[in-house]
Amino acid sequence: MNTMTPAILAATTNLGPKFMLIVPEAVLFVGAVLCAVMGLSHVRAFRALVPWVAVVALIATFATMLKVWTPEAATAAQLPMPMLGKYIIALLCVVGVGHVLASIGSVDRAVERQVASGTGAFDPVRVIQGEFYAFILLSLCGGMLLCHATDLVWLFLAFELCSLPTYVLVAIGRGADRSMEAAIKYFFLGAMSTATLLLGFAFLYGATGTLELSAMRESFQMQAQTGGIGSVAIVGMLLAVIGICFKLAAVPMHFYAPDVYEGASSPVAAFISFVPKVQGFVTLIVLLGTVGWSANGDSSIPPVIAAVLWMIAVLTMTLGNIGALLQRSAKRMLAYSSIANSGYMLVGILAGPTIGIDATLLYLLTYGVANLATFGSLAAIERNGHEVDSIDDLAGLRVRAPMVAAALAIGALSLTGIPPLLGFWGKLDLFVASAESHQRTLLVIMALNSGVAAFYYLRLVAMPFVQEATPRTQGVSPVPSVWPRLSALIFAAGCIALPFFANQLKGEAAAAARTDLDKQATVAQSVEK
Amino acid sequence: MGGTEGMSTVAIIALASAFVTHATAHTPTASMEPALFTTLALALGDGAHAVVDGHAADAAHAAHAASGYADVGPLHFVKAVANTDFAWLKWMLLAPLVSVVLCGALAMFKVKSRMPAVFTVAAFGLSTAMAIALYFQFGPTLFETHAPLTVPFMDWLSLSWGPAPFQSFTANLGFYIDGISMLWMLFVTVLATLIALYASEYMESDLKAGYARFFFAVSLFVASMLILVMSDNLVGLYLGWEGVGLCSYMLIGYYATQPGATAAAKKAFIMNRIGDLGLALAIFLIWTNYGTVQYDSLFQAIATTGSEAVQGGWSKAAIPFLLLLAVCGKSAQGPLFTWLPDAMWGPTPVSALIHAATMVTAGIYLLARMAPFYTVQAIGGEWAETALLTVGWIGCFTAFIGATIACGQFDYKRVFAYSTISSLGYMVMGLGVGTAFGGVYYVFTHAWFKALLFLTAGAVMHGMAGQVDFRKLGGLLKVPGFRLTMICMLLGCLWLATAPFSAAAESKDIILLTALTSDVQQVRWMGWIGVLTAGITAYYAFRVWFRLALGPVKIEPGADQHADHGHDDHAHAADAHSTHKTDAASHGGSGFHPHAPGLRISLVLTLLAIGSVLAGLPSYLEHSQGFNWIQRFVENSTAKIRAGDGAEHALILGRDAHSTLFIIATSVVVAGFLLAWILHAKNRALGDRMRAFMLNTTGLKWIPLGSEHGWYVDQFYNAIIGVPAWLGAQLLAFTDRFVIDGVVVAAVGRFPGFVARVFQPLYTGTVQSYALTMAGGIGLIVAWVVWVWLSGGAS
Repeated sequence: MNTMTPAILAATTNLGPKFMLIVPEAVLFVGAVLCAVMGLSHVRAFRALVPWVAVVALIATFATMLKVWTPEAATAAQLPMPMLGKYIIALLCVVGVGHVLASIGSVDRAVERQVASGTGAFDPVRVIQGEFYAFILLSLCGGMLLCHATDLVWLFLAFELCSLPTYVLVAIGRGADRSMEAAIKYFFLGAMSTATLLLGFAFLYGATGTLELSAMRESFQMQAQTGGIGSVAIVGMLLAVIGICFKLAAVPMHFYAPDVYEGASSPVAAFISFVPKVQGFVTLIVLLGTVGWSANGDSSIPPVIAAVLWMIAVLTMTLGNIGALLQRSAKRMLAYSSIANSGYMLVGILAGPTIGIDATLLYLLTYGVANLATFGSLAAIERNGHEVDSIDDLAGLRVRAPMVAAALAIGALSLTGIPPLLGFWGKLDLFVASAESHQRTLLVIMALNSGVAAFYYLRLVAMPFVQEATPRTQGVSPVPSVWPRLSALIFAAGCIALPFFANQLKGEAAAAARTDLDKQATVAQSVEK
Repeated sequence: MGGTEGMSTVAIIALASAFVTHATAHTPTASMEPALFTTLALALGDGAHAVVDGHAADAAHAAHAASGYADVGPLHFVKAVANTDFAWLKWMLLAPLVSVVLCGALAMFKVKSRMPAVFTVAAFGLSTAMAIALYFQFGPTLFETHAPLTVPFMDWLSLSWGPAPFQSFTANLGFYIDGISMLWMLFVTVLATLIALYASEYMESDLKAGYARFFFAVSLFVASMLILVMSDNLVGLYLGWEGVGLCSYMLIGYYATQPGATAAAKKAFIMNRIGDLGLALAIFLIWTNYGTVQYDSLFQAIATTGSEAVQGGWSKAAIPFLLLLAVCGKSAQGPLFTWLPDAMWGPTPVSALIHAATMVTAGIYLLARMAPFYTVQAIGGEWAETALLTVGWIGCFTAFIGATIACGQFDYKRVFAYSTISSLGYMVMGLGVGTAFGGVYYVFTHAWFKALLFLTAGAVMHGMAGQVDFRKLGGLLKVPGFRLTMICMLLGCLWLATAPFSAAAESKDIILLTALTSDVQQVRWMGWIGVLTAGITAYYAFRVWFRLALGPVKIEPGADQHADHGHDDHAHAADAHSTHKTDAASHGGSGFHPHAPGLRISLVLTLLAIGSVLAGLPSYLEHSQGFNWIQRFVENSTAKIRAGDGAEHALILGRDAHSTLFIIATSVVVAGFLLAWILHAKNRALGDRMRAFMLNTTGLKWIPLGSEHGWYVDQFYNAIIGVPAWLGAQLLAFTDRFVIDGVVVAAVGRFPGFVARVFQPLYTGTVQSYALTMAGGIGLIVAWVVWVWLSGGAS
């Protein structure tokens, strides 16, 4: 086709710089392969090393990213948001290390115990450790690749690379029928959402005749000048947004979340409450950044899309919080809390590119850290060898596992948004963003929701610290491995220490949210002033 | 006789200090002879003229006295100079923080070692060295240019939601160094180092339990205190303010197994919350009125606001009162003072450092720092005068009440606690009557001798197995090993009683002088109450010392876990001290061997005694140097508007102010001293008879009983707040049980059930139903969009 040739040419000429930038992901991919292979080794020490290979791979990815991801390289690759990848890769690497640590000791525990005691022989078919960590790394890899997208195909492939491993993780993480059920639900509903997303992409292609994001943007700008954006494009955008909502666990695609989180093992639940959110928001930002905000030339989303996003944001945070109020299961409660947090983050998206995106990106970080401290604490304790789930199991935890209780409380307080902690700074920026974009109603709704959320978050503080232990909690103890505990503690410490660097983090998020580097320079100057 | 021994020791220390001074105060401008002469004259008891002359010679400030009480004329503050050469100041803050991390790690892993003390003392020592270095490097510049120093440390918080004023909020971590912050940095770090050294020995019995936890909290306290005084904005100050409150809570409740200690910790925390609310509200109002919380721009904004028309009404006028509420909480003033006596449940070094010398003076720092808010220019004439008078009366009232309660206590540590309340009252009164100089000077001198008093009290408790009732001890001056302690305590009591020529008297008299020479009738009344309180102070200070030091030797050791006064109980049971048998040559109870203070405690006591004496140097050297050291600090700070003592050429009772006050104050103090001497040293039987007589007489009963029970303020608060709160809680519990759980929960609980029944076909938990629901949701949204489309709402 005639119209396609320049696009393909542009894509090919871009390949050099693009390859430069995906070196970090390549490193991570090598790490994933190593994990998968080493997990099958007959040598126990090798198998025990698998998580550490994953950790080293993540650190190496981080280091490589710092080396290759310069403003010049990003500009050469013609990325729509040049520094977004730096922020997202750093975020996924750091929080990813925490997720890996939180899952150490929980995978293959029964099998390894049998092998260690000599009651069972090693059977490569029965172990899953290698796959488990390989899939964690692959999913993170997909999340990172999203930032490199310059066309819809790349965006979609990276999106699916991020999604597919999470379905498997839910299935294999626990080795119980419930996790199989959860995985099936997650997979089928995920497939449906992907179909919706793809349908949206097809509509967008139909409306513009190109898959290239920059060409699409020009087409929309032309349409906007000559009588408005066509209805096909609007419907396409709408379907894409709704498809993404599944990853955010946002209304109306949120139903699966409590069931799936409850069925998955705690470390996996922690993972799927964070990484898919990053995936969803990055896709949303890239998509809206190309075809949404700039299309009208005045940095606003088409009104219909904005209205739908507004409703989704309000419903998501409200339903999430109300749902969480009624839960006795800690994991279901945190599932609803993760729904509500998606609602908050949508407020930043609604506030627009120069005001709100950095707030959303910062909130992703604050949420990721606090969420890991909370979920990681759940992963670090067990009752009679089984996962702790009911909130009642947490009563008097301060005596049985003081460090875990402290991490849990700090994480929950941070999610509530209590001032000195990290969560407060994320919320603060979202509030400022909504005030600056004159979204007063949204601001009030968000404030009310934050207040309601305190009601159930504080349970996670009160149960371990105020309630006395009950006969039921007799069997509650920390898991044998020290790493889940340590991971929760480190990230809880992060909730206390990172606020001191709030301005720097904000600066990084603001840099990541810029669509071109000239503006970025002026912003940097004004900050210095 | 112990008294004479003590006196001669004081004279010797004073003489020694004269030579030290002679050596250290050698500056090119000041000639040596007058300095030596002045100090010698002082030691010989003939310093009055020197001091009076010193004031008279300094006529430059005479103009101050003429101006009105609240009106200090147009305000002018020299703009701060940012200088990154002083970036090393951050290490002053980071050193204690490193110690926090190290001690915290040791506490976490339950390591039993002496390392926490080493880390802490080393970190504090480093901070001290840097505070001194700052004084020598920046002091001369400050005194010459009067421009404060700002040092950026790190960006922390800057928000903006528009380009206009009042559309941004900046609170970065940075330092603002002027006279008063430098002064606070100096004495906080020096005292913290000494007291940490003392604690390293004092807390040794806890090596197996909370040693690391103790030093963790003390390090965190010093870091917070430094943030409080060094921050260049109110949010930083608030951070430090909350930090010291938290550490105070942790350390009061240090002996967490004793219910009294945890109750006292909670009480302190809650009382302080009331004050902190005031500070938070004040900061909010300051931002709404001035659009900034950075000191430099804030004070510039106040100075450029015309005094003719003060805009803002109540929202500006409320600021000084809310700040005063914060002061009342932190500095144990007025209605909120009741937490401080209970704070004595903490280990004694903590009482000395936090609840006597440093943290409780944060309120005075706040008042001095925020002095511009108590002026006509900031809030208007009427409110400024009311605000200042309120500060004065709160301080005056607290000084008096604290002193009267101290007279009725039998626990010597509680006596010192009430004396701290009383002394803090004097300081607050100083700022209220219009002399920030007097208030700050008294903070400085008080920090030394009160730390000394608490540490001597701690040494006695340490040796007597936690015995805190002075009726059960006596003649300690004759007990081997306790002589130094008792002599140091004598010095502390003399200073507390503001003995003539002592550092304390030099500073407290400035407050009284300013009050008594005021144009305002009410302020003069405060001054006379202050004079009366000085007499009471002399009485209760020596009541303790005479009972403890003189008379026949009497030692009834405290119990391991004492029932009433569990404060700080040390496990110094008699047989636990086989290693100290040599100390235990003499006396007392059956087989109990008092445990004399060791080298570190003795060293710290000696150094603090020397420090207490030297704290008077600014006055002693005023004549020869031509300026008062402390006054120069105050003059180069935001409190400069009240830096003078305002009393040159003024009259009290128609006579020269300085000499009249000297005579009155001295006679009142001597009267209090003599009364204590008669009732508690010379003829204790008479004292006991008098008390018994008062207790048995219906009309007089209330005096000893009320004094002993703190005028029943706690009981009063319990009646008006505690009981209603308890009733409210019962009511809420009832509501919770029967209304919320019974009716609301049933309704709320049934609602989802109802919804679930309605949508039963969808919510079977199967994947098909979820898919159907989601598809329905998508369908609804698309349908809505199409509907909007058709009705022409879209672009």
